[in-house]
Amino acid sequence: MMRGVTIRAAAAVVAVNLAAAACSTAWSQKTEAAYTPTAAEVAAEKAGTLSALAPANLAKPRPAPPFDVTGNWFIDVSQDPKAWHFFLPPYPKLTAAAQKEFDASKKYDAEGKVYKDDIGQCWPAGLPLIMTRYWPMAMVQKPTAIYMISGFMNSVRIVYLDGRKHSEPDVIVRTYNGESIGQWQGNELIVDTIGFRGDHHWMDQDGAAVPAGEKLHIVERFRIVNDGKQLEVDYTMIDPDNWEGEWKSTKRFNRVVDADIQEVSCLPDLNQHLQSTTSKTQVFQ
Amino acid sequence: MKRALWVSALLLVTLIGPAFAHHSPAAFDRTKKVTLVGTVKEFRWQNPHTWIEVEVPDEKGTLVVWGVELTSPTYLIRAGWKSNIIKPGDKVTVVVNPVRSGEPSGIFVSMTLPDGRELLERPARLGTPDAK
Repeated sequence: MMRGVTIRAAAAVVAVNLAAAACSTAWSQKTEAAYTPTAAEVAAEKAGTLSALAPANLAKPRPAPPFDVTGNWFIDVSQDPKAWHFFLPPYPKLTAAAQKEFDASKKYDAEGKVYKDDIGQCWPAGLPLIMTRYWPMAMVQKPTAIYMISGFMNSVRIVYLDGRKHSEPDVIVRTYNGESIGQWQGNELIVDTIGFRGDHHWMDQDGAAVPAGEKLHIVERFRIVNDGKQLEVDYTMIDPDNWEGEWKSTKRFNRVVDADIQEVSCLPDLNQHLQSTTSKTQVFQ
Repeated sequence: MKRALWVSALLLVTLIGPAFAHHSPAAFDRTKKVTLVGTVKEFRWQNPHTWIEVEVPDEKGTLVVWGVELTSPTYLIRAGWKSNIIKPGDKVTVVVNPVRSGEPSGIFVSMTLPDGRELLERPARLGTPDAK
């Protein structure tokens, strides 16, 4: 009699425990899947200012992206040693203003001089040149944004993936890397960038000085190729103040697995000890 | 000798463009070499450019300070450099491509240390895809 009661009791205990475990799992799955925004996040969402790194933004359900660009990348010059430049054929037709700068840079280059090397004077390279500077570029991809930090002067570029729109023209803060909004499309990431500064900003250098102006608008198509070893980006760039129509270019970057970016700054005393930057080779007028 | 020439040629091809610089490399005449035999005044191990200032006597014996520009320490380390490899007062021989204007400034090609070792900048392995 006792033994029978014990087995039934044991079975009941087991059943209760199993039921409790099932409930517990379901509950914990429910709480892990759903994030409860804080009051601050709710307010920010309402105001349209929710940060890309706010947990509520990161937790939003989104389709898995087709690829992840997280890694260190370096411009590939194996096919063309000049690939780190942008002014390569086919050439856009320059406006008169841009042609004047271009011709001056070519003239001085032929004389062994350097024309308006603003980057050498610590002005930012800006987009597009920051992408192809001969330094590694670190990229970190989150669901809401891709953070790019260049080994070159630690220039920061952020591509927002969280569905936000470009800033309105009357509040946008113009920068050298511009304001980038990205959207996944099939196996590509389409990045639209506007909001550039138009002073001390160049599309290329070294005898090919083409200015970049405030109307610069860049569309990039990112894709991962070559078994994940390379990043390929198609550039379509317009700037009616400086060239006609679309300026197209494709760049490939190799994944770097044996180097990391470091702190690199254009310190106020840098050029004092790099005399070429203040030598008579430099022309700024 | 042949290997050293091959390495120099490879360096020239690799570094003739950007060389991890922040400024245009067009200021330097890559077809010329100047050999500086002098004394280290200062050596700065830093990004974006390591640099060496070398006091070199001119033909009249007056000391001229030459500025020598190098690449980032990330790559120098791979060529055997250390941050204390030279110090002020060391006698060195440095080969540079000079700046085109004739001023005492150049971009680094090679250096021979007081103990006779020759140092180069390591050509970057970056910029080319992994071999399969």
